[in-house]
Amino acid sequence: MYDLIVIGACPGGYEAAAHAARMGKRVALIERGCLGGTCLNVGCIPAKTFLRSSKLFHECGQAASYGVRLGSIEFDMPAVVARKNRVVDTLTKGVEGMLKRTGVESITGHARLIARNAVQVGAERYEAANILLATGSRPAKPPIPGLASEGVLDSDTVFALTRVPERVVIIGGGVIGLEFACFFSEIGSKVIVFEMLPNIAAGSDLEISSRLLHIMKRAGIEFNLSAKVLGIDGNTIRYAASGGSESSVSADCILNATGRSPVVDGLGLEEVGVDFSPKGVKTSDLGKTNVAGVWACGDVTGRRMLAHAATREGIVAVNNMFGKKDRIRYQGIPSVIYTHPEVSSVGKTEEEIKALGIEYKKSVVPMAVAGRFLVEHDGGTGMVKVLAGARFGEILGVHAIGDASSEFIVAAAAMVETEMCVSDASEIVYPHPTVSEALREAILGVH
Amino acid sequence: MAIPVEVPKFGNSVEECLIAKWLKRKGEWVSTGEIVVEIETDKATFEIPAPVDGTVLETFFEEGALVPVFTNLFVLGEAGESAAAFRPQGAAPAQAAAVAEVSASVPPVTQIADRPAASPAPAHAPTASAGALSPRARRFAAQHNFHPPAVAGSGPGGRVLEEDLRKEFYSSPRVSSLAKKRMQDCTEVAGAGSGVAGMVLSGDLVAPATRISGIREKIARRMRESLANTAQYTLTASANASGLLLLRAKVKASKGVVDININDLVTFCTIRALLEVPELNVEFIDGKICRHTEVHIGFACDTPRGLMVPVVRNAHTLTAGELSLKVKELTGQAVKGAISVDDLSGATFTLSNLGSLGIESFTPLLNPPQVAILGVNAIQLKPVRRDGRIEFIDSIGLSLTLDHQVIDGAPGARFLKVVREKIESVESLCTI
Repeated sequence: MYDLIVIGACPGGYEAAAHAARMGKRVALIERGCLGGTCLNVGCIPAKTFLRSSKLFHECGQAASYGVRLGSIEFDMPAVVARKNRVVDTLTKGVEGMLKRTGVESITGHARLIARNAVQVGAERYEAANILLATGSRPAKPPIPGLASEGVLDSDTVFALTRVPERVVIIGGGVIGLEFACFFSEIGSKVIVFEMLPNIAAGSDLEISSRLLHIMKRAGIEFNLSAKVLGIDGNTIRYAASGGSESSVSADCILNATGRSPVVDGLGLEEVGVDFSPKGVKTSDLGKTNVAGVWACGDVTGRRMLAHAATREGIVAVNNMFGKKDRIRYQGIPSVIYTHPEVSSVGKTEEEIKALGIEYKKSVVPMAVAGRFLVEHDGGTGMVKVLAGARFGEILGVHAIGDASSEFIVAAAAMVETEMCVSDASEIVYPHPTVSEALREAILGVH
Repeated sequence: MAIPVEVPKFGNSVEECLIAKWLKRKGEWVSTGEIVVEIETDKATFEIPAPVDGTVLETFFEEGALVPVFTNLFVLGEAGESAAAFRPQGAAPAQAAAVAEVSASVPPVTQIADRPAASPAPAHAPTASAGALSPRARRFAAQHNFHPPAVAGSGPGGRVLEEDLRKEFYSSPRVSSLAKKRMQDCTEVAGAGSGVAGMVLSGDLVAPATRISGIREKIARRMRESLANTAQYTLTASANASGLLLLRAKVKASKGVVDININDLVTFCTIRALLEVPELNVEFIDGKICRHTEVHIGFACDTPRGLMVPVVRNAHTLTAGELSLKVKELTGQAVKGAISVDDLSGATFTLSNLGSLGIESFTPLLNPPQVAILGVNAIQLKPVRRDGRIEFIDSIGLSLTLDHQVIDGAPGARFLKVVREKIESVESLCTI
């Protein structure tokens, strides 16, 4: 009898397992695939290693403007994949080590709930006072004819590419689609993105996503917005453009980046009576499902679909199951799109603030107000936007586009999380010279 | 020869004292035993007398300064002598003055302390507990701009010591900047914090406790008095309600007639019962029973301002229709708040109907000096045995509260029986 069984070794699951084990609880972690889940194996980390390589390749092309002359440069796809594997391997071993150190028992296999306090793995039955579902998500497969064919890659299979494709079609202009668009464009592929909505990076602040669109278009990426993909036949994709006219385009690589769906099947949720839909397992802010003793965190809940949100949700659930009151708060959870330039944001977008009818003030400054930004990014562009309540000056949202913004958005997250007002935030000192000073300038600019 | 006088150590736990008041100033002559300065520990005030005759050559600290024990406070000697040799380290007059300023001046309006100022009053406004603060506590409050509305004092006579304030300061939940501004701005107060480490966020703010209305206060007082001054008990019984329902159906069917409802009919029956059992139509005042020949019926009425009890005077002279009209008229006035005070007093008996809200039984509270109140409950189906068979009849519940000081159980029960009989024969009692 365990105190806790965690199903799924994603960043939500393994962190929660370790947290519970550190509290002195007897914990088992069941994973059918690799430790680390999507994030470590086919998500955040692999994508970022690819993007690091493509960025370096791209920067080598610009080296001359920094006074560095290079000979011929080449993008070695197999070597990039090998490096990705090394990084993933190192991090996976790190997770394994952490689980061992904290005393979490790892069980390999497919777990299925057979009661609210029991799971079946193969022939074995395990019991626990609490079960935490952390089964994550998988690439979504919307009902587009031909999308499920083998020739169409998704974010699981794209990492096995062995060569640089000439022409890439990406279905979906969200976070995943944009990051791969950036990657392929930087390594020399012709990239065409299809997005159903009129804007890219849905959910982002419009002013920021418009700037990103502009920058990516300038880099040569083709965007078909408000477009509907009608079907895929071999290498050809048929679509209806925004005006409604039908057309088709061919590519040697088609990538499905239409989003991710929670993994809710094959878990025995129906049998145990857990409330769920294809959009995820329903949870409260404490991490509880409707069934006592069954908890959930991460992508399987369909709530924020971010690794760091999953981690926090898992820890909140563990705290609550063992008597420490805690509650997930989403308002201060930042998010990043790792395009070049990267987009970082926390809090409400200007569109959300308007929709809520909140009176607000805003300040937008170019990234170049920070000397370090100019130093680091020759010809680079970006901006930081701060949105604050009109009356009290509370910081409602911070949205930045520009490289290095992902590394300081956490400062803004702390401000949003603690409801800091502009007057207080103005007292914070930023190291000089750093790109983060753009945030300072933007905050000071709120009147 | 110049003689320094230091801060004595008043107890093992005392490490520093506060300069409360200089009674003698630099340059003044003092004789032995005269009090030069008052100093305070957290527990008490002490007077420091002059150990010898002499002139006060120097005072090293201003009022409000905190001085470690065994530190020189002042120097006595002959006029013109130098006291410089006795100046304690780190007690430059300028510094002492600065410290004093902090404690003496009005704190800045901007609130530095990250604590809930539960009162929306400006930060520098004197707090409820200000009068009871020890000088050191006052100093702490000023320095930390911390003015909680009420702190339990652990000092003599509930005096708030620095330690009390310090404890309060460091244990009170932190409040986000936005929440603080909203608390200062509006009439909101901090609820349970849901932010980082229990920080109170704007979403955690709640409306402050509100004072009850005048009418509510009056109800509260009367209800307390009712319970405090009588010996209440409640009898419950039920009556066959089929007659009531038949009559009510008849009223509904015959349009144009007054809309007499079940409650009007029960009231009408109760009045008839009171005429038959006048022992309950009395008031008990100062140990005397005052009998009434008239029946003035009070009826509990739910209004937006709370419970009101309008009174139908000489209710025994009214027909069911007239009674119904009068009750409706008074109810309308009570709900609108337009009822005259005369119509809210003088009842000899009261009815309270919660049956329309589905209540099956309750304990009405007496309205002294009346000795009885009848609660009217919901009509429910009740099984009865008739000719060896079980039948279901419509049955209305009755809850009669009596003052045992003057009405014993048996007479109370007999009255209730009469009420039941009247209800069960209501069709013959009143004609529609």
